[in-house]
Amino acid sequence: MGQHDRYDAIVAGAGHNGLTAACYLAKAGLKVLVVEKNDWIGGAAVSRSLHEGWTYSNCSYVCSLLRREIVRDLELPKYGLQVIPYEGGASFSSDGGYFAYMSDHDALRREIARHSAHDADAYDRFSQTVIRQCRFIRPFLLRNAPDPTSLKPRDIGELLFLIKQAHGLGKKELGETLRFWSMSIGDFLDEHFENDLIKAHIAGAGIIGTGLGVYSPGTAYVLLHHYMGDVDGAIGAWGFARGGMGAISNALGACFEEAGGTIVTGSGVDRFLVEGGKVTGVALDNGDEYRAPIVASNMDVKRTFLQHTGQQHLPDDFVKAVKRFKIRGSSGKLNIALDALPEFPAAPKGAPFLRGDLHCAESLNELERAYDDWKEGRWSQNPYFDMLIPSQIDPTMAPPGKHMMTVFVQYAPYDLEVGGVRAGTNWNGQTRGAFADCVFDKLEQACPDIRSKTVHAEVRTPWDIEQEVSLTEGNIFQGELTFDQLLFNRPVPGYAQYDTPIDGMYIVGSSAHPGGGVMAAPGANAAREILRNIGRGGNMTGYAA
Amino acid sequence: MTTATYDAIVIGAGHNGLAAAATLARKGKSVCVIEKNNTAGGMARNTTLAGGIEVPEIAHLLYNLHPKVKKELGLGTSRAPLEVQELPAVSLSADGNHAVIRNGRAELPDGRPHPEAEPFAELMRRLTLFADLLGQLSTKSPPSLEGGLTSLETLTELAGLAKLGLDLKRMGKKDMREFLRVLLSNAYDLLLDDLEDGPLAGALAADAVHGAYAGPRSPGTVFSLMYRLGQGGGAQLPMGGMGAVSAAFEKAARAAGAEIRTGLGVARVLVEGDRAAGVVLEDGSELSARTVLSNTGPMPAMMLAGAEHYDTEMVRRMRNQRCKGAAAKVNLVLSGAPEFTGLSPKLAAGRLLIAPSATYVERAFNPAKYGELPENPVIEAVLPSLSDPAMTAGGQHVLSAVVSSVPYGLESGWDEAARSKLASVTLAALEKYAPGIGALVTEAQVLSPACIEARTGAPGGHWHHAEMGIDQILTVRPANGMAQYRFGPEGYYLCGAGAHPGGDVTGLAGRNSALQLLKDGVL
Amino acid sequence: MTKHVPIGLIETPFHARLEMLSTAKSWTNWAGFISPAALDTVEFEYFAIRNQCTLFDISPMHKYRITGPDALKVVNRLVTRNAAKLRDGRVGYVLWCDEEGMVIDDGTLFRFSETDFRLCCQEPMYTWLLDTAWGFDAEITDESHGIAALSLQGPTSFSLLQDAGLGAVADMKPFDWSEIEPDLWVSRTGFTGDLGYELWVPNEKALELWDRLWAAGGHWGLKAIGFEALNICRIEAGFIAAGFDFQPVHTAMRLGRGRSPLELGFAKMVDFTKGHFNGRRALLKQQQTGLRYHLRKIDIGGFKPADGALIYHKKKKEVGHVTSGVWSPTTKRNIALAEFKAPYAEGITDDLWAEVYVNEEGQWDRRLVPVSIEDKPFFIHSRARATPPRPF
Repeated sequence: MGQHDRYDAIVAGAGHNGLTAACYLAKAGLKVLVVEKNDWIGGAAVSRSLHEGWTYSNCSYVCSLLRREIVRDLELPKYGLQVIPYEGGASFSSDGGYFAYMSDHDALRREIARHSAHDADAYDRFSQTVIRQCRFIRPFLLRNAPDPTSLKPRDIGELLFLIKQAHGLGKKELGETLRFWSMSIGDFLDEHFENDLIKAHIAGAGIIGTGLGVYSPGTAYVLLHHYMGDVDGAIGAWGFARGGMGAISNALGACFEEAGGTIVTGSGVDRFLVEGGKVTGVALDNGDEYRAPIVASNMDVKRTFLQHTGQQHLPDDFVKAVKRFKIRGSSGKLNIALDALPEFPAAPKGAPFLRGDLHCAESLNELERAYDDWKEGRWSQNPYFDMLIPSQIDPTMAPPGKHMMTVFVQYAPYDLEVGGVRAGTNWNGQTRGAFADCVFDKLEQACPDIRSKTVHAEVRTPWDIEQEVSLTEGNIFQGELTFDQLLFNRPVPGYAQYDTPIDGMYIVGSSAHPGGGVMAAPGANAAREILRNIGRGGNMTGYAA
Repeated sequence: MTTATYDAIVIGAGHNGLAAAATLARKGKSVCVIEKNNTAGGMARNTTLAGGIEVPEIAHLLYNLHPKVKKELGLGTSRAPLEVQELPAVSLSADGNHAVIRNGRAELPDGRPHPEAEPFAELMRRLTLFADLLGQLSTKSPPSLEGGLTSLETLTELAGLAKLGLDLKRMGKKDMREFLRVLLSNAYDLLLDDLEDGPLAGALAADAVHGAYAGPRSPGTVFSLMYRLGQGGGAQLPMGGMGAVSAAFEKAARAAGAEIRTGLGVARVLVEGDRAAGVVLEDGSELSARTVLSNTGPMPAMMLAGAEHYDTEMVRRMRNQRCKGAAAKVNLVLSGAPEFTGLSPKLAAGRLLIAPSATYVERAFNPAKYGELPENPVIEAVLPSLSDPAMTAGGQHVLSAVVSSVPYGLESGWDEAARSKLASVTLAALEKYAPGIGALVTEAQVLSPACIEARTGAPGGHWHHAEMGIDQILTVRPANGMAQYRFGPEGYYLCGAGAHPGGDVTGLAGRNSALQLLKDGVL
Repeated sequence: MTKHVPIGLIETPFHARLEMLSTAKSWTNWAGFISPAALDTVEFEYFAIRNQCTLFDISPMHKYRITGPDALKVVNRLVTRNAAKLRDGRVGYVLWCDEEGMVIDDGTLFRFSETDFRLCCQEPMYTWLLDTAWGFDAEITDESHGIAALSLQGPTSFSLLQDAGLGAVADMKPFDWSEIEPDLWVSRTGFTGDLGYELWVPNEKALELWDRLWAAGGHWGLKAIGFEALNICRIEAGFIAAGFDFQPVHTAMRLGRGRSPLELGFAKMVDFTKGHFNGRRALLKQQQTGLRYHLRKIDIGGFKPADGALIYHKKKKEVGHVTSGVWSPTTKRNIALAEFKAPYAEGITDDLWAEVYVNEEGQWDRRLVPVSIEDKPFFIHSRARATPPRPF
């Protein structure tokens, strides 16, 4: 093995978090290698070819959470990243009506009042609460989760920061905050609104990616997880990355390479090399070995430790905790190449909200029933979906005159139940087809001509997502976002600061605090911890400097 | 100003109201308890069915009576006699492999250790350790979060929390981490991490959602399980039925000098100059008092004083309170003792659970969410007459069953047909484990959550007056801004289960509220 | 249910007339409506208010009706004043608070009778009113989109009304209100500190009213105006405006932005003796623990309007800021409303300085100018209160 195979740090997995960590490390002067099992980089933030001429974001599909500090530090716009906010959204009802979420506040008030005069004011109260909660939580995203059992000055400092922030809220707001964090999105919405369609429209954000129903406590927090992003300061706004989500990964990749980093694609990590409790490098599937005193895994915590690390290197309690880590997949996707823009008969022609996120859920109970199906290992017979047609805004996504539609579907189980047996392998051509049919049937509620305009449709189940992107059980957050798996509990109590029982080995993906979404915070925070731990904290550039 | 007749009037002679009255009276205060029913006891009363047999009307077992309350009020002493018998829990299995839980240990019906005895013991060790820790919070008013860091009140409060923190640290890193991990999580995952999904896990899952409007997959159910395990998790059968428990509370209150007047409804609470001044009875007469405590649910307590005495936000919080009851009561009079497959008569006298798996418990709750009756309900049944000869009459026995996942807001409405459907669903479930039991039934009393509300005034017929979710406990129970038992106008207090620490026959809400009242110096 | 809602700004019932008169084409968004910032020239519009009379379209104001046996109870629960003391046919300036005693909004309360009130305000309040009326025998109706209103202000406004055949307003005292003609309600109210009226009609009679006033207006110098000229007058009169001088607490995303009526200088508008009302307990507590801020009228040195200026004590310590500041063309004073952190402006009133930044033809200049606290409105005129009003 030649000298060129030695690095200061190796990142396993070129997902957006792995690349972010790699960028920060390389910019701090480390010699960094990123290894990736696929022939392309990006993990679940990729743009690929759906059908000849069509580009698509095959997994994650919209952008909001990517921390602006990181975009600025890594100069991602210089490497081609452009995020374009989209204009509202809508929910279509089965009686031919709709509720539109308008980006213009006055129009939105009118639209809400069209359904319920009561709810128009209630929406303002709802936004006030949500924005306050977002403002409360955001400072924590780019900080370490404190270890409450630790007496280290830094942990105590972080804990005091938390207490100070909480105390700063004042008595009433603190009480409201405690409630908000422990409520279900369903109860929270019932407290504010009376109209079912409006509630259903908002509720989706509380369950996307989770193994919870709209009436499961803790889903109000999940809503926050989807609202705490912003596009240029507009809290809760979402946008498209021009050219698809791959634009983010490609910008990160370009930044990394310009900082002197190396990316090797086409072969994944077979195992992490450990000697005497210290990590020494990685061995790839193709037999290549690379050495470094620091190895950061962008894979989820289960994959990292249960599949690619020798169990003899890990304490039993740790292995048990990793096994116990909940990572159930709950969502699938349909990616559809369209011959032309479908008609939405309910909406005014060319309405701006059609360029936003579209849904067909009509009530909280409908969403809750969708969840009941999933608990039993079935896809929802009446599924929730989040559908967008980015090609209306981004011309790079489809040939002229043609369109691309992305349909995020919930719920779909990883271990599909067929004949009393639950297994991922039950997902085959037939079950996939039946699942897609079920989604298409419901899509017709919004656009009856959808089937006739479909040129090509790709169905992605949690099983497929695991096969391609290596997200265990197809969980898009690399671990469920419940309180037992957040903050100092994420991914494993006692190892919530990106460190692991193996010296020099780190977790840099969404399995770590603050969790999933194309946020890049875990990657950046992990890089900061790595640099601090090797005494190069001073080399960190940007937000943590 | 005329002199008030009483120092305190307590509305409602449920056990908490009696505990509050006893606590105040023991401090020399003149107290009058006013109860609209003809007997005291609220949910913990006996009723007499046809044939003269007595049954525990609603609540039937004692889980969580707090030792402090017991000691302070002298329950179980000659002043207020109370005799109880510890019951094992028997989680029924259709194949006869029932799981028996006795003194926190898992056994088989023949007394051998349950195959999962070990992981079960370890799980119980952790849960009871955590429950104990949380129990510290139950005997005081919850932290108010009031004031700056310099105020005396805050400092005292912080000292209390610091002790909790210290005890938490003292558990050691491993347990402390586990505590912080599971505190807000769901019972289903916690149980199935360590146990097979059978009757043993089912029993704990059922306990986690007993009286709650939730399935075990709901986050927050680990907390409710810990609450349930507050006194170790055992269940006690009061000799003479739950009515005997209330009678003991009543005796304690009377012994301390409290007056108890039954058969009198309170129409409203008098408020003068933003201060409680007494009550107006339904017959129009007035009783003056310097303070008033209400053992009703939070919303009825507010309406007794009048919504105009509360800020709009507070009224909104009350309206939004989650208090949909999800447990019904079915009391069956049997012509003889039933036989349960694979159960000795001794075990048949235990606390019988139909909760064959955690998944079963979760499934049972699904229909309730949509206002439907469960086909396969979770049931906690007990035959008091098997342990307590006083509860039999002429060879007859009573099966008292708490049927869970029965929605207050039944879509079709709670009419006679719905109640008889519930009775038959209950019987069908029992029949699976006690073949032939149906033939023994001579009378069935079915109390839906709506009936329970009508009989006791508990909002939504909820056993805990308000759901014990994480969003409705401690500092936000009954509502954000009213957690110190003080309930709007000065001198008006909430003393029932809607206040901290919550439901079950603990006596704590009543006791704590009385202590808070005394501390506030409003007398 | 209408099928689709319009996107973008919508028109008030008077828009056709305003559009015709607008030479400035300077429009602004008032609660989703197209509203004139200025129709012609702010300066001339201002002087028309002070010298002749002016019409300003106040239709975008939110209007709610509170009716039913418990209407008075609901209103008294809502506002800090005692509405029981307001006689039928009277209008009262009111504020209302949240449970922490922070002002949600201010507005005018019109009393038809003990069982019938109208609340007119800046912020949408429908759901708050519904919530406040919960448990009471009262009904809340949102009249915002059914009733159009014009504010006729200025010394010749009474004369104009006489010529328009509405001489019956002669007997109306300030804050009186009555149905002068079927479907035409007039109140002697306004936002200028001068003689003036507000006229209320159903939407469909809006243009008819406008034309009637306009036809009578020639001799009296009637001018239609926009928001900016009116804003100068309201500061001269010392009136506070939601969103400028205080942040309506329901619209504050940040914590601690709310202000109590006591802090805004309206202690007299809070009746602690009337029984419970929203925020009462919190306000009592604040009375004991002390106010955090004081909103005051101030006179500022120099000639440059000080809107947004920071205020310092001894030129060093930052103690407040100007919330609304203008040059007053009538009094020839540089005036403002300003918020001070307690105890400044109540206990400590001297050695206060405003920091004004001035851009004169591309050159920025920072000036520290003296601030003095004023108790009285800057503009007061006896004609504002004379009943019957003088001809001009």
